[in-house]
Amino acid sequence: MQSKFNLPKITRWVLLAVWGLFAIFPVYWMIITAFKKQRDIFQGPFLFPFLDFTPATQSWERVFGQDRDDILKGLGNSLLFSSVSALIAVVLGAFAAYGLARYTYKYGPYRNNDLSFLIVSQRIMPPIVAVIALFTMFRTVGLIDSPFGMILAYTWFNLPLTVFILTDFMKRIPLDIEHAAAIDGYKKFAQIWKVVLPLAMPGLAAAYLLSFFFSWNDFILALMLTFQKSSTLPIVITNMSAQMEPRWWLISAVGILAIIPPMLAVIVLDRFMERQVLHGGTR
Amino acid sequence: MKHLLIAPPLLFFFAISVIPLLFTLGLSVTNTSIGGSGSFIGLNNYAQLFSDQFFLRGFLNTILYVVLGVTAQYWLGLGLALLVNSMVHGKRLIRLLILLPMMIPPLIVGFVWQTLLDSRYGPVAGLFTGLHLKPVPWLTDPTLGFVSIVIVDTWQWTPFMFLLLFTGLRTLPKEPFEAARVDGASSWRIFWDHTFPMLLPASIAAILLRSIESFKLFDIVFFITGGGPGGATNTLTLLGYFTSLRSGNLGYGAAMSIILLLTVVVLATLILIVVRRLMARADKAGQQALDQFLAEPLPVKVA
Repeated sequence: MQSKFNLPKITRWVLLAVWGLFAIFPVYWMIITAFKKQRDIFQGPFLFPFLDFTPATQSWERVFGQDRDDILKGLGNSLLFSSVSALIAVVLGAFAAYGLARYTYKYGPYRNNDLSFLIVSQRIMPPIVAVIALFTMFRTVGLIDSPFGMILAYTWFNLPLTVFILTDFMKRIPLDIEHAAAIDGYKKFAQIWKVVLPLAMPGLAAAYLLSFFFSWNDFILALMLTFQKSSTLPIVITNMSAQMEPRWWLISAVGILAIIPPMLAVIVLDRFMERQVLHGGTR
Repeated sequence: MKHLLIAPPLLFFFAISVIPLLFTLGLSVTNTSIGGSGSFIGLNNYAQLFSDQFFLRGFLNTILYVVLGVTAQYWLGLGLALLVNSMVHGKRLIRLLILLPMMIPPLIVGFVWQTLLDSRYGPVAGLFTGLHLKPVPWLTDPTLGFVSIVIVDTWQWTPFMFLLLFTGLRTLPKEPFEAARVDGASSWRIFWDHTFPMLLPASIAAILLRSIESFKLFDIVFFITGGGPGGATNTLTLLGYFTSLRSGNLGYGAAMSIILLLTVVVLATLILIVVRRLMARADKAGQQALDQFLAEPLPVKVA
């Protein structure tokens, strides 16, 4: 669609540039802060490295030195919880989506659409509602501050999303292919695992990346369900900033580390979506 | 076999949504504290909420954040989507740059903006001094603190609106626009007569998703103002956290979060009803598009 606005080209570029500056400046600020000394931060806003202040690598020395263990623990936990829970959510979500796309369910008054709605509706519930109870329940059964508890929580968090995305994908896979596989002697489970899932690969990848993204960016679940052993990167950062004079240079450096994985996820995701739109808006 | 396929999500639904919800509901009628057990006190917690200034302020704030934030994000996102859509070159790069804020963990958004808005050494204060304006106490003034949160939320989530609306724009058919242009309609008229109505389904989806997410606002406020000064920027999630975990008053915090849940459900339903009414009056193209939207999942599935 080409709804060309008659705005002159210059105006359009100026508007985009203004928004671009607004969007990018905070990220630029974080990057240069990671190269400042405490003095450069508290003596007023210095904007240009080499002109205003001399870049220092003090923060990075700490990231790779004194604070390495803390940061590695947070980074490792974040990576572990996000990647494992995303994998579980995608696999379970794919099977459920397949079921919803291919079979007719009837549990009492609940049919397929109602079941989908029930599952998806969990995203409407603010996490705080569940998390106050989860905190108490996890504490009783000893799941507080445990990797298993966090992976469980994140899987729950992302499962509605993966079911939602994948149902649509499963519906688009032609039935004939399964029939062919059945004739070749594949059992139902093997049909799904060996034939349907590979065909749904783009959808699975998109669902995985989104799940990873949401777990990685989570703060409230980790804040309430971990203390020390299972702290994720956001919690490590929070602890660093809970001081009278936070070391913003160090926090910014860790922040840069925390931005990289979700950014890569989105860039890859963007490729997928672009391809989808190019293939004639596959809806 | 088919029951086995759907079992895990349903199991999760019951184990980590329904049971905790009932559990929280149960907690909310007791005076349970984090250290020990509590006893049944009926609806006392709820009664107390309505005379709790902090709660009332947090409740009002939560709704205002949703209304103001989502409105700003929608119009800015729509404007950006139209601008980028009319570009010929460099779309992909510009799109990624626009999406940048959305990719950043909200917690990091929080601390970066905290330093940006700091009245002593932040660049925003520096800009004001440079323009010979009086420095503004962004984070320590109640009203400005509130405005700051809306600005930061808008900074982070306008990209989401942009993404959904931009994708919506690209799936629209070309013919009506070409016909209108041949007829000599102005860009302004083409936008209001064609683009806007045809984009309504995508707009509704975007607004609804954003509103639901906005009700959960937590991380940014936690970092930038911590709910202060004097509770002026609190949200219900933040209050629920502070009340239940920091002050250890689990029962009272549970009551707060139940009210939040009710508000979200009621308002989301209201938005849907109002939107359906509006759509019923809209032109036929829009109606068909809505039917199609309601029958099928969203064009872009970001929840």
